[in-house]
Amino acid sequence: MSKVEQTVMGKKQDYDPNKGYVALLGWSLNAVEALEQFDRRYVVVAPPWAEDFCRENEIPFIPWDFERLNERSVEIAEVLKDMGVNVTIPLYEETVEWAGAINSVLLDQPRLFGQALLFRDKSLMKRRAQLGGIRVGIFEEANDKGDVIRFLRRVNQTLLKLEGDPNDPIHMKAFDKAGCLGHRVIRTPDDVDNIPDTEFPALLESHLDGWEFAVEAWIHGGKIRFLNISEYVTLGYSVFVPATPELEEYRPLIRKEIEKLIKTFDIDFGFIHPEYFVTSDNTMYFGEVAYRPPGFKVFELLERAYGFNAYQGMVLAFDPKTTEEEIEAFFPKEVEDANGYAGCFGVYPRRRVVNELRVPPETEEHDYFEWHELQPPLEQKVTKRNAFGTHWGLVYFFGDDPHKMRDLLKAQEELDFYI
Amino acid sequence: MALSGEDGGSLERALRRFERAWERLTRAPKFARHSHLPPLLDAGLRLLQQPGGAQVVYDLADRFDEIGIFTGTDWADPVALRPELVSGSFAGKVQTIAVELLSELRLLAIAEGRTVHQHMEPTQARKFLETTLALNLNRLFPMHNEADRVRLGPRVRAISHTLQFIVERIGYGSVFEAVAQEAESMLAQRPILVQHICRMIAELGRSEPNPRAEPLFDALFRPSPATAEDPGVAAYQAHLGAMTLEEVEVEAAAMAHHLGQTGLASAYHAVLVRHLRGVAPALLPRALGLSSTGQDAMINYQELVLRLIDEAIFPETAQAVYGLQALLERGALYFPPIPSGLWRQIVHPIREDVQVTLREVYGDAQPPRVWLLSGLVQVLGQPLGIGQGDNPTCQSARALSLWAQSDPGYLLQLLLWATRDGEIIMSFEGESISSKDLDPGLAGELHTELDPISLILVPHLDRIYGEMWRRVYDRDADGHMWINPEFHGWWVQRGFAICVDIYSGAIIGFDRFIRRFYAHYHPYYNGNQPVIFPQPAGIASTTSGGEFVGWHAIAIQRVGLDLAGEMRVYFNNPNNEGRQDWGGGVVTSVAGNGEIPGESSLPFEQFCSRLYLFHYDPLESGEPEAVPADAVERITEAAAGSWAAGRAFS
Repeated sequence: MSKVEQTVMGKKQDYDPNKGYVALLGWSLNAVEALEQFDRRYVVVAPPWAEDFCRENEIPFIPWDFERLNERSVEIAEVLKDMGVNVTIPLYEETVEWAGAINSVLLDQPRLFGQALLFRDKSLMKRRAQLGGIRVGIFEEANDKGDVIRFLRRVNQTLLKLEGDPNDPIHMKAFDKAGCLGHRVIRTPDDVDNIPDTEFPALLESHLDGWEFAVEAWIHGGKIRFLNISEYVTLGYSVFVPATPELEEYRPLIRKEIEKLIKTFDIDFGFIHPEYFVTSDNTMYFGEVAYRPPGFKVFELLERAYGFNAYQGMVLAFDPKTTEEEIEAFFPKEVEDANGYAGCFGVYPRRRVVNELRVPPETEEHDYFEWHELQPPLEQKVTKRNAFGTHWGLVYFFGDDPHKMRDLLKAQEELDFYI
Repeated sequence: MALSGEDGGSLERALRRFERAWERLTRAPKFARHSHLPPLLDAGLRLLQQPGGAQVVYDLADRFDEIGIFTGTDWADPVALRPELVSGSFAGKVQTIAVELLSELRLLAIAEGRTVHQHMEPTQARKFLETTLALNLNRLFPMHNEADRVRLGPRVRAISHTLQFIVERIGYGSVFEAVAQEAESMLAQRPILVQHICRMIAELGRSEPNPRAEPLFDALFRPSPATAEDPGVAAYQAHLGAMTLEEVEVEAAAMAHHLGQTGLASAYHAVLVRHLRGVAPALLPRALGLSSTGQDAMINYQELVLRLIDEAIFPETAQAVYGLQALLERGALYFPPIPSGLWRQIVHPIREDVQVTLREVYGDAQPPRVWLLSGLVQVLGQPLGIGQGDNPTCQSARALSLWAQSDPGYLLQLLLWATRDGEIIMSFEGESISSKDLDPGLAGELHTELDPISLILVPHLDRIYGEMWRRVYDRDADGHMWINPEFHGWWVQRGFAICVDIYSGAIIGFDRFIRRFYAHYHPYYNGNQPVIFPQPAGIASTTSGGEFVGWHAIAIQRVGLDLAGEMRVYFNNPNNEGRQDWGGGVVTSVAGNGEIPGESSLPFEQFCSRLYLFHYDPLESGEPEAVPADAVERITEAAAGSWAAGRAFS
């Protein structure tokens, strides 16, 4: 045990003992930066490759390999407990079940581990949601391509399609991957042929035509403390916060749904990031929920729009020692307190061969344009994008009109950034 | 949720972005700062693009070091910075440009005593900035050209705004010497493009009157008694009509004098030439300052010359007056294809897309055919004045220069193909290559600060050159061996010598390489044979510190004794910048050592120390063994101490 303790490179600093001591599970520079500027003692638990950086910069650090849970997982829980850590915060999908396991020891709440497993398995998650009376689409597990084709047929038969009618698409998602990774849209049996066998088992879902959006909710004491609705302009391309008034109209409904989720999944504290559909008849369908920060830089957008640091918000939500006053002082009033609308657009090259980065003047010179993180292309050939691949970088916007923002983000899809 | 003032002007918007990025970076813990740096650099560059933005950025300059903008970069230690590398940064990626500009502002803060730097004195910083400004006068006085503005716009603006901001604070006076010197020595090379030199001269007028600048000033703005007050073209035109023949003759002599001294033609000169063409053609030789050679050519081809004046000499194309003079003085009209080729070009229609390009770059003040023809007169008159501009196309620029000298009929034919067919076809090892269906080569983004002939031809040439490279790509020797003779013409010698192994970069057979060069080019070792046709050659270009920069195409024009009796290689460097300090005492000269305007020269040994590739006639042997061993040793040492440092010799 002494070996582990030596590698904790904490700075001698005075922390208020009335505030909690948190451990971040996984390496995120943005998160560490947020914690460094916050008022709580922290330690980073991350893979050993982050060690040198942490030592050089005096960031308290414990090296840990987050492989599959095994008999050693209790070891890290005990190390953290001995150090006086109160709670761990997962930063990535892969550390969610670790957080569950460790927190069940730190907080002496064994059920937290079971809860984490629900978050990690999209199929179990849907079943639990269904049991809790939450509306979900048609779904099924698939172990091979045959299952996918069967599901595609059956869904389209249910929809009373005739042979030869274009199929409604189905969605296939890896059980345990974050966001758009491993997410494919399948329309024809030919699409099925392109799926590598390594992607099974996976979850299959029917497609819902509707308005897809995501929610970020900070929960403490079993109550929602801040609820953000992120509006997707086009899934995988663009998102902005706060949402348009049209989507915000659903806020009371959404709030109810989240409360249902909290009850069903027995969530007392932390941060959740569920995705929903609203169909044309105003029915909300639950898509999935994650117990970690969202991708696509939503946290940055929130900071731009509201001025609060979302990671610090997570710390407050997780820390059992957080007081009511702290929470109230920290979170702004939803929508009302926003300084404007912050959005970002993920750029994908539209051409097969590209030579250079050229940001379109209509983007760069737009009033709302903030900055872009795009780099000149390293290769001329663009790999064919299957399913939702990784974008080449984000372009950030900020402005005061949500509809202008939405249209602006939509318009980016028709522009070439790489030519 | 109202946004206060978010609808303000561009400066305000840029300012807010910058302040936000600045605040985020300065607030961040040290270890996270590098992730906030890209947005800050981006916002900084955008702010510098705005008039007034430089001041805002400068106000924060004393904090740049402290917040870590330069940490871990080549700019970390200002003492180690070198002014000659700045222009390279300006041509680099957006972030590099931003860091470079912020670094300049930091140095200004040191120079002005606002920041105290541990290792750098204010005078040192000042000196650095003066040299930087002097070396980047083209950025300080950028070409105002619509097409460039659109394409490169913002970045170029940020650079020139910042440099102008700096020069206004440290004073034009301080760079006066450099500007005057720059203008003089650029002019000594008699380049075709002089716009940026003219802007520099105009800028000199903003500082204290200085006798040094007088001749340049006079040449451009008051080249004769009647233009002493710079009356404007229209007034001068009217005045000319009222002058006696004697008065006009005085005007002609005065202008010819300035033209000969500087190589600059004023707009008044064009007016005068057009006037004389109508009322007193006999005075034209006087107005052009022609020698007996030029006068003779003028008499023999009077009709053509008068027609060229009609078609190509206007106040907007005034510099073609010098081109015409040079054309006559060179005796170029006696080259059989030239007069007929010019006649053809005068009347031949130009295809629409070429007209559009010419109009885009040179504007509507004259129709496209005038731009093209005036450019042609200049290229044929001043083959050594052709430059590659800001383009990586030294090969094409060199080829144009070589053709204008050795094969002008071919050049005229290429121009006809490009302006009539929009296509150039060359043959390579028996197969035809058309420029039409090829991807744009290096010139994909042609910087258009070019003469009209280069503007039209370089895109074709560069594509074909690139395609030739593609075809020799997998051969196991340097591609120049096959390409140079095929691309340029039969007069490029078939023997090919290179001292660098194309795979390993190692130096191979350097001793033999140098001896061979002596035996084919040095008159004492080659049987006193002159260079008949200028030959393409390659040099390893180096910084003033002697560090390797890259391979560069030049043409060996001739080898001969200079006025002091030293053997020199005279060569043409297409990069518009004949004067270069290549380190280790190797400084190319452009005047004063027997150079023809447009030539650079180096003592023979010094030239050898940067040479890596040349062509020779394999059937001539010369006397390689007679070359003194100590000369070869000195050359080897100089190469090993500069561009070849760290390379294996075998």
